[in-house]
Amino acid sequence: MKSSLTRISWMTRLTFLEAIRQRFFAFLILLSAALVLSSVSFRFLDFGHGELKFVCDFGFGGMFLFGSVLAVVMSAQLFFAEMDNRTALTLLAKPVSRTEFLVGKFIGVWLVLGVFIFTLSTLLAIILWARCQELTAAAIEVGKAPPELSIKGLFSYTGMQWARLGVVAAMILMVASLARTFLFTVIVGSMLVVAGQLQWLAQETLLKPGDLNFFSKALLSISTYIIPNLQQFNIGDALTLDHGSVADGAVTLALFSGTCYIVVFIFIGSLIFRQREI
Amino acid sequence: MNTGPAIAVKGLTKDFRIGLRGLKLRAVDNVSFEIPRGQVFGLLGPNGCGKSTTLKIILGLVSPTAGEVSILGFPFATTAARSRTGFLPEAPYFHKFLSGRELVAYCARLSGVKPESVNQAVEEALALTAMTEAGDRTIGTYSKGMLQRIGLAQAIVHDPELVILDEPTAGVDPVGSAAIGQMIKAMKSKGKTIVLCSHLLGQVEQVCDRIAIMDRGKLVLEGRVDDVLTRRDQNIITVENLSPEARRAAEEALAQHGAKITSVTHPRRSLDDLFRELVTGSRDA
Repeated sequence: MKSSLTRISWMTRLTFLEAIRQRFFAFLILLSAALVLSSVSFRFLDFGHGELKFVCDFGFGGMFLFGSVLAVVMSAQLFFAEMDNRTALTLLAKPVSRTEFLVGKFIGVWLVLGVFIFTLSTLLAIILWARCQELTAAAIEVGKAPPELSIKGLFSYTGMQWARLGVVAAMILMVASLARTFLFTVIVGSMLVVAGQLQWLAQETLLKPGDLNFFSKALLSISTYIIPNLQQFNIGDALTLDHGSVADGAVTLALFSGTCYIVVFIFIGSLIFRQREI
Repeated sequence: MNTGPAIAVKGLTKDFRIGLRGLKLRAVDNVSFEIPRGQVFGLLGPNGCGKSTTLKIILGLVSPTAGEVSILGFPFATTAARSRTGFLPEAPYFHKFLSGRELVAYCARLSGVKPESVNQAVEEALALTAMTEAGDRTIGTYSKGMLQRIGLAQAIVHDPELVILDEPTAGVDPVGSAAIGQMIKAMKSKGKTIVLCSHLLGQVEQVCDRIAIMDRGKLVLEGRVDDVLTRRDQNIITVENLSPEARRAAEEALAQHGAKITSVTHPRRSLDDLFRELVTGSRDA
C-alpha cells in the first residue's frame, strides 16, 4: 500500500511538473488573470445589478470558462503525450500499475487546476476587497447600508469549482483511456461537460413528468445518474455576496457527489486502461 | 531461491484486430522458448517479425491472445515480475525537461528503490553507463547515443535480475555501439540475465550466449550461438609455411611439401549469413 502511494506520488510529481511547464497553461492563466483584472474597468456595464456582483460574475465566468477549457485540454493532452511520445512504455514497464498511472495523472492535473483556480481566486478576492472598502466608505458617507462581501464564501466557491474541475478531469481521463486520439477525447469530453452543465434540466423535467412517455422518462433518469450535475457547483454569487441564500448542506452535497463521480470515473477509466495495448 | 529460467514463453500467440471488420493480423505465432538465468539472449528478426510484440507481452504492456509467459518464476504482467526487470525501449523517448540524473532517480523511486539508497543507486547506474558528467544536463540536449545510455541507466538503476534491451544500438555510432556492448558484458559479469533485440548481428554474435530468430511471427531457430553457427559436417585445416605450390597440391600431398597441420577446427558461418539465409529463405518460399 505504501509503495503504491509512493509510485502514485511520483507519477503526480511528474505530471504536475510537465503541466506547469506548458505554454498552454501559462497562456490560459495570463488570459484569465487579464479578464479578472479587466472586470473593474467594465463595471459600468453592470446591467442594474450591484457593482460587486458584476465583478464577481465576470471573475467567476472567467474561472468557469477557462478552467473548463484547461481541464478538458490538459487532461487529454497529458494523457496522450505519454502515449504518443511512448514515455508510457518506459513508465508502465516499471512496477507501476495502470490504476496507479491513471490516479497519478489525475492528481497531477487536479493540482495544476488547483493552482489555476486559486491564483485567479486570490486575484479576484484582492480586487473585490479593495473595491468593497471604497464602496463601504461611500455608503457610510451617505448613510446607506454597506455592500456584503464574504471572502471566505469566495474561497468556498473556489473549492467548489476545484471539485467541479476535478470531476471534469476524471471524466476526460476516463474518455481518454478508451479513445485513440486526442481530438476525439477533447470533442467527446467537451460534449460531456456541456451535458453536465445542462443535466439539471433533466432533473427538473423528471420532477414534472407531464406527458413524458416511459422511454423518455427512463432515458432521462439514466442520464441523471451517468452524467454529473456540474451546475450544482456554480453557487459563487450566493456564497460570496449573499451567504444566507445558500441552502443548508448544498456545499457538502455537491462536494460529496463530486467525490463519488471522481472515484467512479477513475475506477472505470482504470478498468478500460488495463485492457489498452501500449 | 528460484532457479528456473529467467523467462519461459510457451505457445505464445498474438493477434491484432485491424479495421472495422476486425480482420486478424497474427503478429506472434505459437512461439515457445526459455531463457536460462545469467545468460545474454539475442532475439533477432527483420522489422515487423514480432520481436517487439513478444517483448511487450513479456513486460505486460500487451496482452497475449494465447500462451503462457513467466518471468523469474512470477506470472508476467505482475508488479513483482516488473520490479525485477529493467527495460530499455526501442528509440527511447523521455521527458525532455528532466535532467538525466532526475530521470534515473525518478525511475529508481518508481521501481521501489528505498529513499536512502536512491542517490547511490543513481550514481552507480550513471557510472556504469558513462553518464556521470552529463547527468545534470536536460535530456532535451542529449545526442542519440546519450539517450540510449541514459535509457540503459534508468533500466538498471534498481539492480534488476533481468534486463530487456530493445534495439539499444539503434542510431548509435560504432564507438557508442561498442561501448554499449561492453556495458552488456559488464552486466553479464554481475550475473544479470539480458535479453537483447538488435540488428547489429556482429555484436550479437560477440555478446550473446543464445539466440532466437523470428520471422513472420514464428520462431525459426533457437539455440546456443556456438551450436547454431558451427558446421559440424565440415573441418578446417590450418597449415604453416604453405607455399603456392603446396596450396595446389595440398589435398593430395600436404605433408610432402613441408607443410605441417597444426590444428583442425570446425568452420563457422557468420551470424549475418545465417540470418539472411533463414529470413530470405522463408520469404522466397
